[in-house]
Amino acid sequence: MPVAASAIYFLNLRGDVLINRTYRDDVGGNMVDAFRTHIMQTKELGNCPVRQIGGCSFVYMRISNVYIVIVASSNANVACGFKFVVEAVALFKSYFGGAFDEDAIRNNFVLIYELLDEIMDFGYPQNLSPEILKLYITQEGVRSPFSSKPKDKPVPNATLQVTGAVGWRREGLSYKKNEVFLDIVESVNLLMSSKGNVLRCDVTGKVLMKCFLSGMPDLKLGLNDKIGLEKESEMKSRPAKSGKTIELDDVTFHQCVNLTRFNSEKTVSFVPPDGEFELMKYRITEGVNLPFRVLPTINELGRTRMEVNVKVKSVFGAKMFALGVVVKIPVPKQTAKTNFQVTTGRAKYNPSIDCLVWKIRKFPGQTESTLSAEIELISTMGEKKSWTRPPIQMEFQVPMFTASGLRVRFLKVWEKSGYNTVEWVRYITKAGSYEIRC
Amino acid sequence: MPPPAASSRYPSPSQPSGKSEVTDLKSQLRQLAGSRAPGVDDSKRDLFKKVISYMTIGIDVSSVFGEMVMCSATSDIVLKKMCYLYVGNYAKGNPDLSLLTINFLQRDCKDEDPMIRGLALRSLCSLRVPNLVEYLLGPLGSGLKDNNSYVRTIAVTGVLKLYHISASTCIDAEFPATLKSLMLHDSDAQVVANCLAALQEIWSLEASHSEEACREKESLLSKPLIYYFLNRIKEFNEWAQCLILELAVKYVPSDSNDIFDIMNLLEDRLQHANGAVVLATVKVFLQLTLSMTDVHQQVYERIKSPLLTLVSSGSPEQSYAILSHLHLLVVRAPFIFASDYKHFYCQYNEPSYVKKLKLEMLTAIANESNTYEIVTELCEYAANVDIEIARESIRAVGKIALQQYDVNAIVDRLLQFLEMEKDYVTAETLVLVKDLLRKHPQWSHDCISVVGGISSKNIQEPKAKAALIWMLGEYAQDMSDAPYILENLIENWEEEHSAEVRLHLLTAAMKCFFKRAPETQKALGIALAAGIADFHQDVHDRALFYYRVLQYDVHVAERVVSPPQQAVSAFADTQSSEIKDRIFDEFNSLSVIYQKPSYIFTDKEHRGPFEFSDELGSTSITPEVSSDIVPAQQFEANDKDLLLSTDEKDDNKGLSSNNGSAYTAPYESSNISSQMQELAISGPAASATTTQSSFDFDDLLGLGLSTAPAPTPSPPLLKLNARAALDPRAFQQKWRQLPISLSQEYSVNPQGIAALTVPQSLIKHMQSHSIHCIASGGQSPNFKFFFFAQKEAEPLDYLTECIINSSSAKAQIKVKADEQSTSQAFATVFETALSKFGMP
Repeated sequence: MPVAASAIYFLNLRGDVLINRTYRDDVGGNMVDAFRTHIMQTKELGNCPVRQIGGCSFVYMRISNVYIVIVASSNANVACGFKFVVEAVALFKSYFGGAFDEDAIRNNFVLIYELLDEIMDFGYPQNLSPEILKLYITQEGVRSPFSSKPKDKPVPNATLQVTGAVGWRREGLSYKKNEVFLDIVESVNLLMSSKGNVLRCDVTGKVLMKCFLSGMPDLKLGLNDKIGLEKESEMKSRPAKSGKTIELDDVTFHQCVNLTRFNSEKTVSFVPPDGEFELMKYRITEGVNLPFRVLPTINELGRTRMEVNVKVKSVFGAKMFALGVVVKIPVPKQTAKTNFQVTTGRAKYNPSIDCLVWKIRKFPGQTESTLSAEIELISTMGEKKSWTRPPIQMEFQVPMFTASGLRVRFLKVWEKSGYNTVEWVRYITKAGSYEIRC
Repeated sequence: MPPPAASSRYPSPSQPSGKSEVTDLKSQLRQLAGSRAPGVDDSKRDLFKKVISYMTIGIDVSSVFGEMVMCSATSDIVLKKMCYLYVGNYAKGNPDLSLLTINFLQRDCKDEDPMIRGLALRSLCSLRVPNLVEYLLGPLGSGLKDNNSYVRTIAVTGVLKLYHISASTCIDAEFPATLKSLMLHDSDAQVVANCLAALQEIWSLEASHSEEACREKESLLSKPLIYYFLNRIKEFNEWAQCLILELAVKYVPSDSNDIFDIMNLLEDRLQHANGAVVLATVKVFLQLTLSMTDVHQQVYERIKSPLLTLVSSGSPEQSYAILSHLHLLVVRAPFIFASDYKHFYCQYNEPSYVKKLKLEMLTAIANESNTYEIVTELCEYAANVDIEIARESIRAVGKIALQQYDVNAIVDRLLQFLEMEKDYVTAETLVLVKDLLRKHPQWSHDCISVVGGISSKNIQEPKAKAALIWMLGEYAQDMSDAPYILENLIENWEEEHSAEVRLHLLTAAMKCFFKRAPETQKALGIALAAGIADFHQDVHDRALFYYRVLQYDVHVAERVVSPPQQAVSAFADTQSSEIKDRIFDEFNSLSVIYQKPSYIFTDKEHRGPFEFSDELGSTSITPEVSSDIVPAQQFEANDKDLLLSTDEKDDNKGLSSNNGSAYTAPYESSNISSQMQELAISGPAASATTTQSSFDFDDLLGLGLSTAPAPTPSPPLLKLNARAALDPRAFQQKWRQLPISLSQEYSVNPQGIAALTVPQSLIKHMQSHSIHCIASGGQSPNFKFFFFAQKEAEPLDYLTECIINSSSAKAQIKVKADEQSTSQAFATVFETALSKFGMP
């Protein structure tokens, strides 16, 4: 970050320091005490992730049961700070093999110290690319890329890899079977009014890749998208393309994507990092195909009885099906007894979240399913306040369906050795925040 | 790796124990130190790990320093790393012992493995022991010339570390010049980036006292250099890109072609996956085009979509950071975002800090076209489970109503809120209805009928209560039982804890009295009596003032207290546009999050040579949230209304009548005069307790009341000791002990501000008035001084904190004195001295 961080702390939920690294002397050691007493032990914790105490700013995030706190004494760049934390956690996860929590930190503290030294120096972020760091910091201990590497790798190359132009991929990789996996994962966010009007709806999508390719391959990805305004004029001069085109509101790419070529040729071309990474992210607000419609009717019959009727319709192709459908229907706190019938799946009253939880394991397309329930309430004394109904929330996954309609047109791999590759493409649409007011 | 020992697994940091373990470790390490047996490295690793784990959990293991250093003679890189870590942590506290480590670190700096060279160099520079800097020069010099880029990146940061330990050593060794040539010629992007970071820091710190550094700092912003970086920006990693973009922000383009060139170069950065890069690019675009209005608008259009994407992806904390910036942009250009209001709808599960920002944005972008939808959405939130958010959304509805879009529908909505019968909803709504009526009195009829139905018993919050009372007073003629509600409230005067409510009660009772005298007379009498006996200064003063005005002339009193209502056209803005611009200049930093310019919260840096630790002690007073300030200011504005109308009374000479009997009232005059006599019962008690501030009021009206006390004698001139002395420590101690006896604001004359370009001149000037400076600091426009002075012939000190803002030409002073009674006199001396500053 252009203005340097002074220290980074990892605390558990009680406020004990799990690990810390002070990069600069301009903050005192008691700063973490200030954080504990003035943020953790007050209600402030959930109020704002950036706080100032005694001339120092705390930029903090909670990840599982750990607080990660960056302390800065000057006017720091917050977006950079948060991004750094997120990236650092991703890096740690790649070392710990998945989980990042208190125990993982306690078990790997030496490793974390090493990493903290490499990823930030004197408060300036250095290199956070797991690919490069794994060259010389491994889980088994430390390996120097310079001395312990096989002789046939020339040393100057190794230095280039650390900070050079293709910083995300090392040379000399080789796989028996060259495979590329490409997943388009979309999450649909919906906010629907009780009258069935769509108040807000958008799709955020990710293109995730897993590459097991030898050498330095060049990949090209074509999608059925129509990129914004800057390309529109060019589109007109060309003959109209067949099929549906999707208008992406906005796209961001992994650093490996050649953005100049994207802007001029409209193709996504890149030299991929090895293994798993997120190639691009996009956002769509127009022309979203909602996979589910929910039609709730809730009648409050007097003070102690309620009738709930929820109909869920799947509106995607009949050959497809959704998995793991969960509908959470809110009920008042003073619910005493519930009685319900469902046409498919199973429903349960969960008092800890004040919801009827209705689960359907497999939901075929173009079908509908209903839940009707009668709810008895405890009559409370003088409780005049009407129940404020939280929205119905839904979870689901629909494989082979994209709410945006985005499709991969082609995925090409070039490598100078000219090997054959196998490409796998999957689509999946998940519920983001899918809320229906009732 | 094994977890730390079970016993130390969940230690309480307050009681670091483990003395015996440390001694144990010490002896074990000692045994291993000289051993060359096979496998000894593994047992050393375990021991080192134990030491590090103790260090992490806060047990002091500095006592094994010697043993650690002895064991460090190894070729095992894991051991080396742990040892470096240990040494780096404890060197500062044990400068003597660190000397031991220099030797092996220096040797490692010459190791054939570049990795070890780098690590050793980093540890060497991180020791932070001033008297060891001489040992740094050699390794740093060769590190900068190393043929391995890893070592060079570390060496470059090492130079910066050295600069912070000993600036002069760093400058004398001409490291900055070396860095500059590395920055221009090195093939490795990370080395270049670190050079840039280091040079920026060094030169901006040096610039204050060296002209050459100033020039060098400027040269970083030269056109060739900027293009050198921007053309290569893709070679840098994301963090270095942020650094370069931040540099580009400061660049002043030569012409519009220059601007477009840079924007073309950077356009694709807006698609970068790293939000920090996108935000930094946005800043460059915004700053470059500030002078070109059309292009600036287009920039807003262009950056909108990447920013909205960033908001919806990533963790809530990241969204929050981006939203804060969007908020700033939304406030600057609401119309551009007006059609995107749906993006700011809250999701049910979002954290409240995100929701709050979104509510503010919805308020800001409401206009003719979207008000209906936005208000409908906000009304949904009013029923939210999270009470804080529910309140915020009601406030948001109110703010939109005050913006005059679709007021009719909003008034209906507000009134529906009152019917929800939730205490907090009612409370918030009442405050809003009050503000609304002040701005749009034409809605009074609709509102009053509903408000009249609210029982004052259900309202506990002072602000809401005050609002209700205000309405009772203001619209007493339309609310049939207003006098009786007021009477009820006044009878419970003792139980009313909020001074604000009591003040409003007084005013409302007065207003009601003018409209419906017979019904209110008794209540007003009780209120005035209770008010005059009130322990709260303002309440007391206001009651006394009302009493006197009534006594003087009821007619005048009515015009003072209840003048014909004029609609408020605009409520005071909480932030000046100057401050907003300044925050905008500091885009992409904490300023935006805090909504304050950076000099306010980084002021600590500009403090004098010593720092007040009580600052830290009082940190429980967290910075006020701006939302708290708004109502307070409105209240103040309300007060000013009253005062303003008293001012107008000056030209109305009512002096012919000096008591309450000579007026002619348009209604029931005899009735009122008899009531006046009844009111007079509390007269004597009142005059006895007259204080200085009520006497200000009298003055304002030009009253020659016989009961007024003699004006306070002007304080005797204070003589100060010209040769007073106080050492900083004693000053600091005193400053902490003494209460603030006086705090005032003076304006500084323009000559003074001009002379302030050299802050030392003020110090000299004040010294010539026997006021001595003990610490000073700050940068334009904010300067801070600590002064002290001593009374002649008596060892009584006056301590003063003086903050001068050169842009507003105001000086704020806080005086603490051994002898409270003479602090006013001292302030006068101080003001006189200050006013002569800059005068020939």
